[in-house]
Amino acid sequence: MMPLSHYLAFTFTLYIIGLYCLATKRNMIKLILGIEILINAANANFIVFSANWRAGYVDPLAHSIVIVSIALAGCVSAVALGIIVCAYRHYKTLDVRKLRRMRG
Amino acid sequence: MDRVEIAGLVMSAILIVVVYLFIMKNGFPAFLYAVSNTNLVDVTRQVGRESSLFMWSRRGIDLIVQALVLLGAAVGSLALLRREE
Amino acid sequence: MFTLPLDTLFVFAASTPIIGWILRKGGAEKLCGVYAIIGLLVSGSMVYNLFLEASKRPVTTSVCDEVYASCLRVDMLSVFMASTFIGIGLLAAVYSIKYMEGEKGIPLYYTLLLSMVGGMVGVAFAGDFFTLFVFWELMCVSSYVLVAFRKRRWESVEAGLKYLLMSAAGSASLLFGLSLIYGLAGTLNFHGLASVLKGVKPNIWLDMASLFLFAGFGIKAAVVPLHTWLPDAYSAAPAPISAILSAVVTETGVYALCRVFFTVFQPLQVQWSMVLAVLSLVTMTFGNITALLQDDLKRLLAYSSIGHIGYMLVGLAVGTQIGLTGTALHIFNHALMKGACFLCVGAFVYRVGVRRLDEIAGIGRRMPFTTIALCVSLFALTGMPPLNGFISELTLFMSSVEAGMTWLGVAIIVNSLFSSGYVLRVVKALLQRREAEGFENVKEAPLLMLTPILVMVFMIVLFGVWPDPVLEFARKAAYALLSMGR
Repeated sequence: MMPLSHYLAFTFTLYIIGLYCLATKRNMIKLILGIEILINAANANFIVFSANWRAGYVDPLAHSIVIVSIALAGCVSAVALGIIVCAYRHYKTLDVRKLRRMRG
Repeated sequence: MDRVEIAGLVMSAILIVVVYLFIMKNGFPAFLYAVSNTNLVDVTRQVGRESSLFMWSRRGIDLIVQALVLLGAAVGSLALLRREE
Repeated sequence: MFTLPLDTLFVFAASTPIIGWILRKGGAEKLCGVYAIIGLLVSGSMVYNLFLEASKRPVTTSVCDEVYASCLRVDMLSVFMASTFIGIGLLAAVYSIKYMEGEKGIPLYYTLLLSMVGGMVGVAFAGDFFTLFVFWELMCVSSYVLVAFRKRRWESVEAGLKYLLMSAAGSASLLFGLSLIYGLAGTLNFHGLASVLKGVKPNIWLDMASLFLFAGFGIKAAVVPLHTWLPDAYSAAPAPISAILSAVVTETGVYALCRVFFTVFQPLQVQWSMVLAVLSLVTMTFGNITALLQDDLKRLLAYSSIGHIGYMLVGLAVGTQIGLTGTALHIFNHALMKGACFLCVGAFVYRVGVRRLDEIAGIGRRMPFTTIALCVSLFALTGMPPLNGFISELTLFMSSVEAGMTWLGVAIIVNSLFSSGYVLRVVKALLQRREAEGFENVKEAPLLMLTPILVMVFMIVLFGVWPDPVLEFARKAAYALLSMGR
């Protein structure tokens, strides 16, 4: 197995990719995918740590946490897609930079 | 690719390099403060079954509340997509 | 299985759609609100029973000493927060019977309201980090939908989308921080973490984990660099939801910050207290100065909320028992004051339809009770002596002087002066003689909307003149927080 620091670099890279996606993309659906990438970075981090406690053993606590977290990510995406449907009906576009009517 | 995307790409590349150097320099002290490891499951056993036994016996509160979050998301989607006259 | 108040809230939340469907067949859909109010009253009485039990020692469910099980741990601070949440939720539910009557899908609204209050009470009662996260997500998901509930108007949908994006990014950062803590300590239980991390040398990875946690909780608590969702969401949500958002949802973020920084991160507390002090100064000043520039009443109140979050962070930065007493007391007082303000502005919007300062001028003569209530709660916000804002701001000032950070105390006083600037502007606009157009048939607010407002104002005045019970409760709550690791 590779040393822990390589896996950790992977999860941090995923987190930074998620932040990049949230900060720069224009399409609303891509922003939801950015949030999903962020949550999956955290899930991967849990699994990486659970396998690294002792050689040949895994920790079921991390598995339980990841199972619940995947369901919660699904709920957030469902509600976000519902709001995007409403926003599309009002603004007729999926570009998040056009939603600028509120100022101040 | 407009200016915001290019700026974001450059900044994320710099951040990834910085994070990589940071991790290489300070190794992660995995489980430095661990309390006890009586719960670990050997990979030679059936990990799926053991994990689900653990989850239902020790983490029951999380599972019930997750079911309520699912209910809340369903009700929320119904509320957002309701038909208005 | 859970503690009784949570059980009640969830049973009522899950059965409200069914009751709503039955009532719709019977033609009396408005009674769904009454069902929700009964649920909140029942769980409020159970919180009182829990209060009597928790004052001796913390109540735990399942086995909290075992560090892998999810558990609920109720001590005095949890009961304090839970009673605030249920109280404000109850008053907002009474108010929304009348306010939301033009909408379709009313049973869904009350279901989401009950599950949001249930999620907040669960956050207060959680004894394990991941349990807190799951309840936090319950509260957040319900609040996203409630902000965007009136989807016929464009501003609700836009504000709901922006709020969702920022808040979900915050929850994801929170989860990432939790994974780093799990990697360091192997457990996520509060009691276990507090006892293990008590005298530890500061480790750079603990700093990283606390940074992620602070980003996650700080977005919800609207600390200054992370506050940009707040003015849009508060001004676009329906008035009872704005009241709940400003009064208690933001305070849940502050409560979670208290829990994390005083139980889990004991070794880091010294380093973080200076950072928190600077952040609270920036938050206070930014909130109050930007509120001076606003014309829209709801946005003005939203920026004033940011200022008050800055006051609460002062107690957190100071870190002594008096500081935490001040924070807890200010959480309760701010919930009352801001809730009353938002409900009054909602009454104006319900009767007249506008909420900008120039269009609402002179309404004081037509709606006297609402205007008096709004003036009293606005004066309480600036910290005037016979009202309850004064007590909590005085406690925070004294705690900062005692801890040697007198500049924070002076900042509180200067910010009170700034806040009196915009408060006097609003009061002058409300009470002036010359009316704006369109006020011919404006009557007083309906009784169902007026009752929660008057109850809140009565409590503002009562706890300003006689603060002893609440002060004692807050002191016990602060003591329970500080004694967690022992």
